Amino acid sequence: MEQQVVLRQVYKTYQAERISIPALRGIDFVVAAGEFLALAGPSGSGKTTLLNIVGGLDQADAGEVWVAGQNLRALSRGQRARLRLRHCGFVFQAYNLIPVLTAFENAEFTLLLQGVPARQRREKVERLFAEIGLSGLEDRRPAELSGGQQQRVAVARAMATDPALVLADEPTANLDSATAAALLDVMEQLNRTHGTTFIFSTHDPQVMERARRVVRLRDGQVVGEEIQR
Amino acid sequence: MERLSLLGTIAWRNLWRHPRRTVLTALGLGLGLALLLISIGLGDGGHAQMIENGVRLGSGHVVVQARGYQESRAQDLLLPQYIAATVQETLADGRGAGQPTHVSPRLLASGLLSSAAHAAGVTVIGVAPQAERAVSLIPGKIIEGTYLSDAGHPGIVIGEELARKLAVRIGSRVVLMTQALRQPQTGTPGNIHSALFRVSGIFRTGLRDVDAYVVHLPLPQVQELLGVPAYITQVAVFLSHDSATLPVARRLRQVLASEDIEVLTWPEALRELAQFVWLDDAFNYVMLAVILAMVGLGLLNTMLMAVLERRYELGVCAALGLQPGQLAAIVLYESLALTVLGVGIGLLLGLGGHWYFATTGLDLRWFTEIDLSTAGTVFDPILYSRLSLSRLLWSVAVVFLMAVVLAVYPALQAAHTRLPDALRVL
Repeated sequence: MEQQVVLRQVYKTYQAERISIPALRGIDFVVAAGEFLALAGPSGSGKTTLLNIVGGLDQADAGEVWVAGQNLRALSRGQRARLRLRHCGFVFQAYNLIPVLTAFENAEFTLLLQGVPARQRREKVERLFAEIGLSGLEDRRPAELSGGQQQRVAVARAMATDPALVLADEPTANLDSATAAALLDVMEQLNRTHGTTFIFSTHDPQVMERARRVVRLRDGQVVGEEIQR
Repeated sequence: MERLSLLGTIAWRNLWRHPRRTVLTALGLGLGLALLLISIGLGDGGHAQMIENGVRLGSGHVVVQARGYQESRAQDLLLPQYIAATVQETLADGRGAGQPTHVSPRLLASGLLSSAAHAAGVTVIGVAPQAERAVSLIPGKIIEGTYLSDAGHPGIVIGEELARKLAVRIGSRVVLMTQALRQPQTGTPGNIHSALFRVSGIFRTGLRDVDAYVVHLPLPQVQELLGVPAYITQVAVFLSHDSATLPVARRLRQVLASEDIEVLTWPEALRELAQFVWLDDAFNYVMLAVILAMVGLGLLNTMLMAVLERRYELGVCAALGLQPGQLAAIVLYESLALTVLGVGIGLLLGLGGHWYFATTGLDLRWFTEIDLSTAGTVFDPILYSRLSLSRLLWSVAVVFLMAVVLAVYPALQAAHTRLPDALRVL
């Protein structure tokens, strides 16, 4: 099976004042295309750092990170931005929609950056909105949407460009359990129907149950892996 | 194109996230521009009035005289009178002038004017009355009697201050004593001559040097008195607009190149006035630069705040794939949009103020009662704004340029949004 993400001996240490804080200590694992994978672990275990490095938002101090066949350490800042735009979708814990744009405009944001024509953008976003239950909310701004609705818009934005990989950092952390379950349904459905690889971080056992594979982290190291279904 | 439009949309909507801040900043920018326009309008209007009065009291926009007269002021440096006709013909063909001109021949000399009670040294100006009426300030400043005319009994026109000094009034008899000039052809020194005149007009210009010393007489009388019947000191050329000064001077220099003649523009002939205008302009520019700097700091502050408070949001945009240049473009667009708003307000206020001062004028007597004469000319007490299209466009361009330059730093800050720090991930 095609390898979507390859991590080999990845290290990352943050400097705070004069103190070194090791965030990742020799991470090794491979994510195949089409996986629905959870990075599990307590706060400070390195989940977010790992997602940031895989998404090219941050750089590893040592080791190799390959995404969609490209070695991220060899890419410039601009090249990493282009890789994110073309191959990755992001869903953040705090939704992170652009507050001055409507739900529709937020969802089509990355398509516009890719230069997709208006008609195709409209069809794409309308289809996604229908698929994930956002029809009728197109013209609302983020402040006029609930947390669950905002996170769905964020998922729509992440999926709009048909990315090979979606990285979601604790996507359900700010949602109640029913809304979180509904969002996971959406993500799972998109994973199945579009074949998109999902990697999401969580420390919620209910969310972990939904992943087909769970990689457990602790103190910046992989401490276990489970295949669930 | 659509990408630019998206960035523009984001920028425009961002502005209205804090409407009060946006309006206040735009208002500050607008007031700065309005002040710039009103100040330039009043400054240019005041200078135009000063120059107009200066050239009408002096020797015109362009003066043609014997070479060396400007430096030496020697009375016997004369021109043949036909030069006036040559100048008239040259300007009549329209080349170099492009607008209506007036030409006035003059003969200047110094003399002693005596009344029954007193005597005073004077500058005698022999003029062609009809031509002088069209160009000089003095015919319009007559407060008693009438100005000279080509026909009728020759009178003498004197200033109010001189009339007071000599204790004369309209109809009083005065005696003008001068030394006949050295004949240009023979070089023979002239004898002392005197002639009796009746005061026919008294003028008040407000400029003491003119009101106390200048007298106007018909040109033929002065030529006869000085013994130079076919000679004049200078030909004063008056234009309907100052902008034609240089082309007219160039044209006359070409035509009169073979003569021993100097052709001077008013800044060359009235150096004190030209320097005053230059200095006043320079001072105004410094003041305006200070005002613009203050307004610019307000704009810079707003844009920096907009970037710093949206650090997280810019981080999200960067995470989604926006390039550093595109992040900078959002900030530049915001700054430009804010500037367009400010310029709109500024044009509204500035042109409104200009229109008021151009039609009603600024009455300086509200502020001061002091003598309004300086640098060899007089201020009109009511200042009228004059704003050319080029000055208007220049002002708007300066404000835009300032906004763009000041937006560079916040835009660079946005472009340098560092991931993942901007997302506060650790």
